[in-house]
Amino acid sequence: MRATTIALGPPPPAATPDFNHAVSREASHEINNSVGRQQVVYRAGTGPPLVWLHSLYGVEADAPLIEALAEQYSVYAPLAPGFADLDELDDIRDIHDLALHYDDVMDALELPEAVVAGHSFGAMLAAELAAHFPSRVSRLVLLSPLGLWNDHYPVADLWGVPAAEMPKLLYADPSRAPGTGDGKPDLEKVIALTRAMTTVARFLWPIPDRGLARRLRRVRAPTLIVHGDQDRFVPVQYVDDFVRLIPNATSEVIPGAGHMLLAEAPEQVLAAITRVRSRA
Amino acid sequence: MKFHFFHLMPYPDLPDDFRQRYHGVWVDLPATELFDATVGHHAYNDYLDELEYADQVGFDGICVNEHHQNAYGLMPSPNLMVAALARRTSQAKLVVMGDSVALYNPPTRVAEETAMLDVLSGGRLVAGFPVGTPMDTTYCYGETPATLRDKYREGVELVLRAWTSTEPFAFNGRYTQLRYVNIWPRPLQKPHPPVWIPGSGSVETWDWCADHSFLYAYLSYFGYLRGQKVMQGFWEAVAQRGLEPNPYRAGFLQFVAVADSDAEAERLYAKHALYFYNRCLHLYPGFASPPGYTSLATIRQGIEGQIKLAADRNKELEDLTWSQILDRGYVVAGSPDTVVQRLTEMEQTLRVGHLMVLLHFGDMPKETVLYNTTRFAQEVMPRLRPMWSEWEDQWWPRDTLAKLAEPAPVPAPVTA
Repeated sequence: MRATTIALGPPPPAATPDFNHAVSREASHEINNSVGRQQVVYRAGTGPPLVWLHSLYGVEADAPLIEALAEQYSVYAPLAPGFADLDELDDIRDIHDLALHYDDVMDALELPEAVVAGHSFGAMLAAELAAHFPSRVSRLVLLSPLGLWNDHYPVADLWGVPAAEMPKLLYADPSRAPGTGDGKPDLEKVIALTRAMTTVARFLWPIPDRGLARRLRRVRAPTLIVHGDQDRFVPVQYVDDFVRLIPNATSEVIPGAGHMLLAEAPEQVLAAITRVRSRA
Repeated sequence: MKFHFFHLMPYPDLPDDFRQRYHGVWVDLPATELFDATVGHHAYNDYLDELEYADQVGFDGICVNEHHQNAYGLMPSPNLMVAALARRTSQAKLVVMGDSVALYNPPTRVAEETAMLDVLSGGRLVAGFPVGTPMDTTYCYGETPATLRDKYREGVELVLRAWTSTEPFAFNGRYTQLRYVNIWPRPLQKPHPPVWIPGSGSVETWDWCADHSFLYAYLSYFGYLRGQKVMQGFWEAVAQRGLEPNPYRAGFLQFVAVADSDAEAERLYAKHALYFYNRCLHLYPGFASPPGYTSLATIRQGIEGQIKLAADRNKELEDLTWSQILDRGYVVAGSPDTVVQRLTEMEQTLRVGHLMVLLHFGDMPKETVLYNTTRFAQEVMPRLRPMWSEWEDQWWPRDTLAKLAEPAPVPAPVTA
């Protein structure tokens, strides 16, 4: 996949995005525009457009899935504001600003509508985009989505455990978590991870509920919710809440998988998104 | 230099197997299992007695602070404690160290309560405004870590304007919107009480304090050896702005234990110091570093917050010994000569005009606190007092009324 920086807002981007069908993560194209906001978008593949909204750790962490999806879709994977520069959140203060931002991104990409899929934090954003701008989303795929709260099965506090214990919340099998390496972690990696977690926490703290339950009735796209039955971060019961609140939703529960579905059930995830395409 | 008696007001009755039974002293420690209100009643009253005694024996200031949902310090509201102290003290300034502005909604509540305290005490208030620990602010009070500091600064700006504006104003902030700000009463001190900022090593706070002429105080549990890097950062920020390196711009907190000899100090104080480090500072690492609480610039600087430091050292604190506590400078203890020598060295290294001392540790009984306080006031304070006398303290109340109202004796009931 290839990273491109696009400009948001009128006028539309002057440069034609460089469409490289080969999957590459190297190139980056910077385009300035009048409002000064830029967006890094990773792209890969050909086919009908699919917008991928990444998980807790940024686009590159999701690369294996994106590369597999590129076999059948034109994948557009914007990096969430804040992940590259926390100052981007000065103008994107709440969940509505963030939904508007993704509407701007789709404008800039000249995508009137697309299949929209995401995982975890990204699935919450995908649901918000579909609820705020129903006509943007032709099919919606939510993988272990955040965004709802139920007192009977609360979402676990991801930042209420020591960092070393996070894998136990996120993975059914914590040995699947990427290693932290040996010795002192690289400062730049610590900074990048802090930016990512700071951004995610900004939209999830202290309770990951920004009112999505009130808006899901607006979602028009046929929706698939995929969840691991061993998810200790977002309990699998939330599947029922999403299915109940979204007008046209079905679900698939993957036995033995935890929250990090891309690592723990990559084939099932790919198969689910492939099936969505065949129905599209 | 000036001396302040600081009280943390810990819960004094945590069980011996506290560390084994509970993962931490803060946020989710079950009060129904551990908090006995009768113990609390006596603790509060003893602690207020100790602060009042410090006023009696000549401390310049008496200090209290704000923490939530914990057994480390029983003061969710420091202002309530100062209200109690205002009536039974007369000399010492009342240092609230302080109100966590971002946690008050709206922050004008802080402007109002501090104005009340300043008027009630005859202009003796020093108003401290900490950001607050990660546990207090983000876990107990639910503040988003990423916006906490911005909200805090906006709140401090609102408090300053509320204290000083000559007419009602509208405030359209990012975190607070008020159509009419017009607080009653107004502070006695003009333009407003001194503002002290307790910091824990954030680089932005050094710049902010230097730019606004706020006093910067480093409240360290780990002694002055650890405080050097932090205070050096502050003095560099002062120098960069071409400001005078007036030591009264800065404050520092230190545990001190005075006795006849070093051996006697161990006998009197060691177990209470260990109670503090082993139980009161038993911090769960899961509540120590919410993402966004520490700025990227501070992470780059390699300075770790006080809380993260304590949480990271949790294992080490379990096996801490009195001699390690002394060697590392966590507590300055011993004979008056030893204490004077160590504090002189500390003063020269850190350059602080305001020394805050903790003379009560953990579960220390009142008689021991009063003993420690007496010896410090009589045998240590006078010898250090002349230091920095060539500088003028501009961070101290100057409008205190010469003659304060005295609480009148309660009259006997009049029979009709």
